[in-house]
Amino acid sequence: MDLLDLAPDAVRRARSDGAEAAEAFAISFTTRSIYIEDDVPKVGEDRQEGGLGVRVARGKRVAFASTTLASSEDVRASVASAIDSLGQVPEDPDFSGFPTETAKGEVAGAWDAATASTDVSGLLEAAKAFTDAAKASKSTSVPKAVFRIQDYAIRVANSNDVVASHRGTLVLCYLTAKCGSKGKFGEGILKALNTSIRGIDFPELGRTAARRAAENLKAKTFKGSRAGVAVLDPLDLGEIFLQSVGSSANGENVHKKRSAWVGKIGAEIASVGVTIRDRPRMPRGLASCVADDEGMVTRDRTLVEAGILKGYVADHHHAPLLSTPAGNGFRRAVATVEGSYTRPAETHVSNLVVEPGRKGLDSLLAEVDRGVYVEKFASPEVNEFSGSFALEVRNATLIEKGELTDHVKFGLLTGNFYDGLRKVVGIGKDLVPSHGFLSTPGCAYVPPMAFGGFELVGQK
Amino acid sequence: MTEFLTVAVHALDKAGARFGDVRREDRTAFVVRAANEQIQAVNRIRRQGWGVRAFVDGAWGYASGTSQDADDVATAARRAVAIAKADARAGVPKIALRAMPSLRKTIRQKVKVEPSDVSGEEKIAAVMDLCRAQRIESISSTNASYSESDWSFELANTSGARVSWREVRLRIAGQTIAAEGDRREAAYEFRDGTVGWELVKGMDLAEFGGGVAQEACEMLKAEKPPAGLRTVVTDPGVSGLLAHEVMGHASEADEIVKERSFLTHQVGKKVGSPLVTMYDDGTVPGAHGSIPFDAEGTPSHKTKVIDQGIYRGFLHSLETSGALKARPTGNGRAQDFGRRVWVRMTNTFFAAGRQRKDELLEETKDGVLTKSWISGMEDPVGGGFQAVTQSGFLIRKGEVGPRVRGMTLTGNALSILKSVDMVSRELKLDGGTCGKGEEDYVPVSAGGPFMRCKIVVGGG
Repeated sequence: MDLLDLAPDAVRRARSDGAEAAEAFAISFTTRSIYIEDDVPKVGEDRQEGGLGVRVARGKRVAFASTTLASSEDVRASVASAIDSLGQVPEDPDFSGFPTETAKGEVAGAWDAATASTDVSGLLEAAKAFTDAAKASKSTSVPKAVFRIQDYAIRVANSNDVVASHRGTLVLCYLTAKCGSKGKFGEGILKALNTSIRGIDFPELGRTAARRAAENLKAKTFKGSRAGVAVLDPLDLGEIFLQSVGSSANGENVHKKRSAWVGKIGAEIASVGVTIRDRPRMPRGLASCVADDEGMVTRDRTLVEAGILKGYVADHHHAPLLSTPAGNGFRRAVATVEGSYTRPAETHVSNLVVEPGRKGLDSLLAEVDRGVYVEKFASPEVNEFSGSFALEVRNATLIEKGELTDHVKFGLLTGNFYDGLRKVVGIGKDLVPSHGFLSTPGCAYVPPMAFGGFELVGQK
Repeated sequence: MTEFLTVAVHALDKAGARFGDVRREDRTAFVVRAANEQIQAVNRIRRQGWGVRAFVDGAWGYASGTSQDADDVATAARRAVAIAKADARAGVPKIALRAMPSLRKTIRQKVKVEPSDVSGEEKIAAVMDLCRAQRIESISSTNASYSESDWSFELANTSGARVSWREVRLRIAGQTIAAEGDRREAAYEFRDGTVGWELVKGMDLAEFGGGVAQEACEMLKAEKPPAGLRTVVTDPGVSGLLAHEVMGHASEADEIVKERSFLTHQVGKKVGSPLVTMYDDGTVPGAHGSIPFDAEGTPSHKTKVIDQGIYRGFLHSLETSGALKARPTGNGRAQDFGRRVWVRMTNTFFAAGRQRKDELLEETKDGVLTKSWISGMEDPVGGGFQAVTQSGFLIRKGEVGPRVRGMTLTGNALSILKSVDMVSRELKLDGGTCGKGEEDYVPVSAGGPFMRCKIVVGGG
């Protein structure tokens, strides 16, 4: 039995059981993981799962139920559960039915055959390449690392005869290196994301993690304060973009007046050099697809052009409320597709891409008279409503007259990210992907960027 | 115990596992969300599946699935053994497990009012009431959510254990966004626990929701928080973050085995002032992180981690108790049937002191009082601390003064704990979910009393 065929089956059953309209999302995936502990593979995982999410409607009443998929009996139970809920939910005055428009085909590189066929021994090779490179640095080990591949296939069907299919591969690596001895250690932490395992340079990641660990060991407690330019590494910066821009450009948040950019179409919200796009059709993009998780056709769109807010993204529910195109209804995250069937599609960005500049990181740093270069925060969290933040730096280096000087820790980089977007003083050229909270759909591709107006604060 | 599990255990034995277990889970959930006095989602979720793991010469192999066919679980058991053997060949240090559970017991968590006995309409009405209660002047968005989960587990292992248990959790939350011009501020409050519908039944939702809304409005007028090293009175939530994120994660014995914790060689040494005592306790009645058994079948336990400033020891799974020749503490937990088991906290908190909260404030000439936490991040290697608060207050001459916006607290954990000079008698636990690294989320709680100490603060 192909589990994905249960999606159209669920729609037919829902209609015959009393739903006026129905939508079903089925997913089947395998996950293979290797966990490295103290330089050697300690745990290997092989997971297989299928799931179904069913949304049913009667008039303006809408309800949802989901289940793991093992048999057609699960479809019956899930449909019955959703229909049972219809009798309890109030009407949703904004409900406008399910999509009527879809698309066929694939975005190049969203699914990679070689990655899909990589087994545990292939993952062990990748792990060894990373570990060997990290350990080549003096007094360095790999205390913990995760190497994971997911191979998944999706089918969305609805009672408007929409049937959309998608498949993808995801590679997620969470990597650490530790440097030091006698109870004094520094740590470097990295992540890598790709749709292809061949797209990740594991030896280079090993060397980078080792360097960060050594610098973290050498870092001094930051004292005093330092205003100036902050140059931010793209991995953590991407998460910040997802929390701020991803949230404020989210049409659902705009409709609910949760967004910081309500009513700001046409307003200058960033420096003139900043252009941001949502690119679901980007080749090899982690969130790329021709149809979203509601089956709706996707389109690349410009959200911010030369600093001016041009538009929002929306799912099928919110698009008509904002007079904006749909195609951004997502359930699956880019870090993992686990659990994606347990929630209905909601508005999220797909691949949020900051238009890269022409400068390499070295050139960006060379232009800074006084500031700080932050490679890793403890946790890159920004208040999505106000934009304010204060982030503990874990890998940071002071900049003096274009040169990197002292490594520092136990300091807070403080500021307001929405203000910072208006004070961008440099944009690098190399895009790096990052994801937000593990189960949140969408990802960001951003380059290193330099911001004015932030301040590093330490002990006084 | 079902034949299904017995088949898996026999297959593990026959394939050559030194030790192995199989855990079957049946998880149901009901979720209601509302925004701006409209129901946004009514979701019923069911996830069923099983995970088999095999231990061979120091390495683990995991295989999981959702099929209900006994042949499939037997195949998975053999696959788990094969994965473990492949990992073991890569040179994992050999360890002997000890104190493997061999219990035969069933514990069904009891609640006063079974959530399943309450109608969906009543739950939806409660969420709407909470949403409406937030609608006051200056509010741009009101949000409320309710979730209940009912999880059943069955576990069997090759040492003869046959245990089953049930965990029930409820959570209800309100979030208000207040706006004034371009400025937006959010306030969030929740109640949760291993409890039934009595949690909601005992709440005054109008008062609760009104309080959240009032909080958001007051934050519009809040000042920028001070920056630098300050005298801070941490509220129970932030005290809990200090307990959980820094001392708790660094006490997870897998980090000790890897020497990835700054507490590795600290047993018997002073890590805090004599006023500091800390526990991890999975047996606290009603607390969100309480569990009858961990995911290995070990009964939950109360572990004293710090005793009057002296560090006492670690939290263990079966594996770490074998590696460090200690007793398992019931801290081997897994996100779900498809994820690995490793050392995780349950309810982690500092013990109450003898002073009143008011005394802490009255004796503080110049400082900051924190108000509610948003997030925290661990740093087991470096012993660093990051906690993000929702807001706070200045303390001037012993009195609580103006409100300040959300801030981040950072610094070296041992320096912070050694600076603790006053501890209140009030103690509270807040529930949440905890990830390790960036994944593997399990329900926990953290808390403590009001504590006065020195911490670096800053905010945007």
